[in-house]
Amino acid sequence: MDHDERQSLETLLPIVYQELRRLAASYLRRERQGYTLQPTALVHEAYLRLLKDKPDRWQNRAHFCAIAAHSMRQILIERARARDAQKRGGERHRVTLDEGLVAGGGRSIDLLALDQALERLAALDAEQARLVELRFFGGLTIEETAETMNISPATVKRHWTVACAWLARELEDNSHP
Amino acid sequence: MTPARWQQINELFHEALDRDRSARQDFLHHRTDGDPELLREVQTLLRSHDRTEGFLDEPAWGIAADLILESPAESLTGRLLGSYRVGAVIGRGGMGVVYAAEDLRLGRTVALKALTPEYTRDPVRRERLTREARSAAALSHPAIATVFALEEIDGELYIASELVDGQTLREELAAGALSPERLLPTLVDVAAALAAAHERGIVHRDLKPENVIRRRDGQVKVLDFGLASIAASSEAPSFTRLTEVGVALGTPGYMAPEQLGGGEVDARADVFAFGVLGWELATAEHPFGRDPGSVLARMTELMDGGSPRLSRALPVPGLDRVVRRCMRAAPAERYSSAVALLADLRSIGSGTLAEPMTSQAGRLWWWKCHQVTIAVINVFMVVALWQIRHWTTRPYGSVMFLVALMLATISVTLRLNLWFTSRVHPETLAGHRARLFPAVIAADTLLAIAWLVTAALIAGEHDEMAALLVTVGVATFASLVLIEPATTREAGIQNH
Repeated sequence: MDHDERQSLETLLPIVYQELRRLAASYLRRERQGYTLQPTALVHEAYLRLLKDKPDRWQNRAHFCAIAAHSMRQILIERARARDAQKRGGERHRVTLDEGLVAGGGRSIDLLALDQALERLAALDAEQARLVELRFFGGLTIEETAETMNISPATVKRHWTVACAWLARELEDNSHP
Repeated sequence: MTPARWQQINELFHEALDRDRSARQDFLHHRTDGDPELLREVQTLLRSHDRTEGFLDEPAWGIAADLILESPAESLTGRLLGSYRVGAVIGRGGMGVVYAAEDLRLGRTVALKALTPEYTRDPVRRERLTREARSAAALSHPAIATVFALEEIDGELYIASELVDGQTLREELAAGALSPERLLPTLVDVAAALAAAHERGIVHRDLKPENVIRRRDGQVKVLDFGLASIAASSEAPSFTRLTEVGVALGTPGYMAPEQLGGGEVDARADVFAFGVLGWELATAEHPFGRDPGSVLARMTELMDGGSPRLSRALPVPGLDRVVRRCMRAAPAERYSSAVALLADLRSIGSGTLAEPMTSQAGRLWWWKCHQVTIAVINVFMVVALWQIRHWTTRPYGSVMFLVALMLATISVTLRLNLWFTSRVHPETLAGHRARLFPAVIAADTLLAIAWLVTAALIAGEHDEMAALLVTVGVATFASLVLIEPATTREAGIQNH
């Protein structure tokens, strides 16, 4: 990431962050089935809304997708951290505790551990880490990711496969030391 | 590991992946000759790939939806709000965060619920909430957590209520179903709280195990009366409520079908939620299944007017009947309010639960009547056959009598058995009937043939009796073909 890019990220991130959080919450509330949030739809809607306000701020859609994916990662990791901290601060009284009811079904992924593993992956291969961010946190498809990163879909697939295998191994090593 | 090394691992990983599974090992051993570390790296990666393929396929926002819904509002702990000194967070839900707080005016500790601004910004909802909180504050009952005040501080709304220290029923359920000695008294307490509210026209709207606490001294307290009203919005498409409350996202199963549909609700919605709660406390399982998906599917069926289709009966028969009545899809078929429900629950305790004349029982009446009538006719005809056994040449009369006696015994026994089942274990009737019915049909058909044969044997000398036998034989056929299926359909006895 060059200097200009970093600066634009820093100024734009809070805006995208706000917009995405707001949109996500309203999507979730409207969603009939409850769980399945379509991040792609979310990113597109956020893009259109923000574009309408200040079109000159965004270089292009790909640029926006990268920022959006990064924002989503930040939002989730911040929330996960906050929740973690609350769980540790002992709760003596209980009034109405609704946590844990919103279980997302089958598999659970430790987001914080994944975030850290992703940092380690970035040290080995920054492109792969960025790709995982776009796919997993941004919800972009293979084709959208390829477009955003300006590489071929086949390359995206190759990077994705090996990065997933590596991350899965890292997470398992962490949980069973 | 260095980026260059990772590059090397990447290349080997993909080359191995492109090969047949059987050829991979040889290939890797060959290519990593003299570098066991590299071999191990690629091998573990391949194994991880095989085992966990697709583990990140669902985007983060899908699996962590709950994280987004939580309000990012900063903690109020330690702040002074009006006359409240805010303490630790003691709970959080979709509607807001709950703190323990000290009311400095009155010197008492309260639970202070900071309502999420999203729910209180709209003036219509705000007005409604104010009204509800006012009426909830008027409720005074040992099993209701008292609402002290609705406070507006710096434009935000807070509800101060009795601080209840104990365990929620959800937490109790984590250890399994409630013991039989505990079950009924707990349900009676909850129903009594609801009844007290319903008598004053207040509906809870969000009864669930999370909202009921058992204090350390054993007293049961129902929390948050009327609060769910703020979530009921005017736009309300289907299922809005369910996610708008946020917390209910994974547990829509406590809402009555009419409530899920976004319509106006009354006390009967609480009765429905009570039914679900009762079932859950008795079995430690949600009546509509284990995962949110199946619960949602069953709720959708209920919204379309289906029946709850409960898989088994509760161990306490009286409670089973009460709980089932609570969970009916049509509000009119439930108890009209918790007052009637409470009366029935109390009579289970004293063993005098009245037989409910539900519409189901009403429809079953014709079916039961049919079973008994056919049984009586069969017995009567066998007796008649005994009387006339000498009218025919020996030994036909006695043979016919014995055949008829055998068939009638089978038919009558089975029919009375079904009738008995319908009275004692109505929930098992459908399956039971499916098993017995082929034998009943066979016995009755043969019996009808026996009447006709006997009629043929005595025709000419005893025409009146022969006519009677023919009539009964034909009637038996008709009952098997027409009346039996009609009454069965009417009674709603179907096989699942």
